[in-house]
Amino acid sequence: MRIASLGILFASAIAMTSFAEAADVAAGKAKAEICAGCHGDNGISQTENIPSLAGQLDQFIQWQLVFFRAGARKNEQMQPIVEQLNNDDIRNLGAYFASLTPFKGGKDDDPELSEKGKQAAAGRRCASCHGDTFAGTKAVARIAGQREEYLVKALHDYKSGQRSGGAQAAMADVAYPLSDEEITALAHYLAHL
Amino acid sequence: MKSAFNRSILAFAAIALLAGTTFANAQQQTDKNRALKKYESGTKEFWTHPPDDWFLGDETDAQKGLAPPSGPPTGASDAELATMMKKIKLPPGFKIEVYASNVLAARQMAWGDKGTLFVGSFGLGNVYAIKDNNGKKEVKTILKGLNMPTGLAFRDGALYVIAVDKLIRYDNAEANLDNLGSGKVVYDDMPSYAAHGWKYIAVDKDGWFYIPFGPPFNIGIPPTSVSQIRRVDPKTGNAEIYALGVRNSVGGDVDPRTGKYWFTENARDWISDDLPSDKLNMISKIGEHFGYPYCHQGNLPDTKFAMGHKCSEFTPPVYNLGAHVAPLGMKFYTGSQFPAEYKNSILIAEHGSWNRHKYQGGRIVKITASPDGKNAKQEIFADGWIQGDQGYLGRPADILLDKDGSILVADDWAGAIYRISYSKK
Repeated sequence: MRIASLGILFASAIAMTSFAEAADVAAGKAKAEICAGCHGDNGISQTENIPSLAGQLDQFIQWQLVFFRAGARKNEQMQPIVEQLNNDDIRNLGAYFASLTPFKGGKDDDPELSEKGKQAAAGRRCASCHGDTFAGTKAVARIAGQREEYLVKALHDYKSGQRSGGAQAAMADVAYPLSDEEITALAHYLAHL
Repeated sequence: MKSAFNRSILAFAAIALLAGTTFANAQQQTDKNRALKKYESGTKEFWTHPPDDWFLGDETDAQKGLAPPSGPPTGASDAELATMMKKIKLPPGFKIEVYASNVLAARQMAWGDKGTLFVGSFGLGNVYAIKDNNGKKEVKTILKGLNMPTGLAFRDGALYVIAVDKLIRYDNAEANLDNLGSGKVVYDDMPSYAAHGWKYIAVDKDGWFYIPFGPPFNIGIPPTSVSQIRRVDPKTGNAEIYALGVRNSVGGDVDPRTGKYWFTENARDWISDDLPSDKLNMISKIGEHFGYPYCHQGNLPDTKFAMGHKCSEFTPPVYNLGAHVAPLGMKFYTGSQFPAEYKNSILIAEHGSWNRHKYQGGRIVKITASPDGKNAKQEIFADGWIQGDQGYLGRPADILLDKDGSILVADDWAGAIYRISYSKK
């Protein structure tokens, strides 16, 4: 590569089978009490523009917390919270949210829009990182069933450069050429999977 | 000697072509259906937002699922590092130990004059300073929020950090670790995209920096200002284009014997698991062309992008390191602690594969070669970071000599620095 790749970072992570040190789900649950105010009980958000975290990928959760902590991803509400987290807390929170029953989309009230979103997802090759069912893989987020308006927000944040995709520039590059119409359709499609 | 060298190149090419045949046929079929890819580098947007497909290559089922892995976000814990150290294999008499942990995403390293170890990082945007405090290594984050500050150098009391499109100087750095300020940008004639935009710095005897410029895609006709190595004077901001036809280089060093610049280069992806080879190159004279995108590994014309060029038009590699081994940081060994045969050999940190079904690399190799780049030989120096087919315990990213002749190794996966030392016993 790219890598040299790669680095970037990219997108997906290898399963950490080699490191057997188990994260502590119970400790993660205790630590996650502070998260529930916004991200909801059991990781299902009831709040606009706040993502659900239930069943989100362990590595994805951890990376976002590390990015918030380093300042590479910025959010006023998250900032003071993540500053208190040590590496063990981050591992435990990742394990805890990943252990919850994943969020699911509701009944699709606009199948026509979903069809457009499906085509956009195919054209933009979203599945090559997020997986055929958009359930995420390794460090790449689960996006199937995520809150619709949050998906819109996230794609706009990437498109505008407010959010870089963490280490991987991938999402910023992918979202940049998306039209508002595509973003609306993609978010609707993914939110109802 | 020369004819033997050529014969071995031909033999290698024949083997390589046989190995790649099945895939190549499929690839040619696919290629027929696609026009030569063109990027609109004449637009301002190209420079701020590179092509969105630069890391993708999922046109065939065989390629599906290969993607750059991302490591444990919090690095390896001290317990995990202790276990890992036992698994690393070294030649007799050598020993590896953890020098510092919690150096997340550690990339290039450089020494300050007063013994501070500076370390850049990948996506976290951090630069670290590591100081020895009675034998305990203290890791301090001295800069945050930079755009992929992978490369750095130390010169005349100043720390230089290169963050994709800015070379920034922090004066009197070791005295101001707690407050480096925002620094002074000394060179910024560089594109702002992140893709292959992360860099490495090698300082020559005149104090000029060799800096690589990668293209923001896997393979394509590069815009005229990238796929090259420049030589930049940090004092004045003057720069010259030093070499062309270079894909993604993130490591190099000046030969203590000749003053010439040698560098590692990551070859294109998505041909096959075994093609093409990544390279070790040497620049003999200014303006040499190393083949990208026309010719890979010195003997493999690109099926789409050769465009009539022959490999003989380009400077061949000193050594083909292997497909997808991802050679990054490298150093000539100039110390005296290691056995005599290490003197002036090259130690290369191989970051390891992502674009290969069974990873390789993820190790440190030793290359010996004549000052003219001939007679190159490789030996595996440190190995054991790859776990299974597609797993890593760690990924070596850079190498730096310590004063006592031991070497330090930066690992951006485990977020750690190791020391490798030798003792005769």
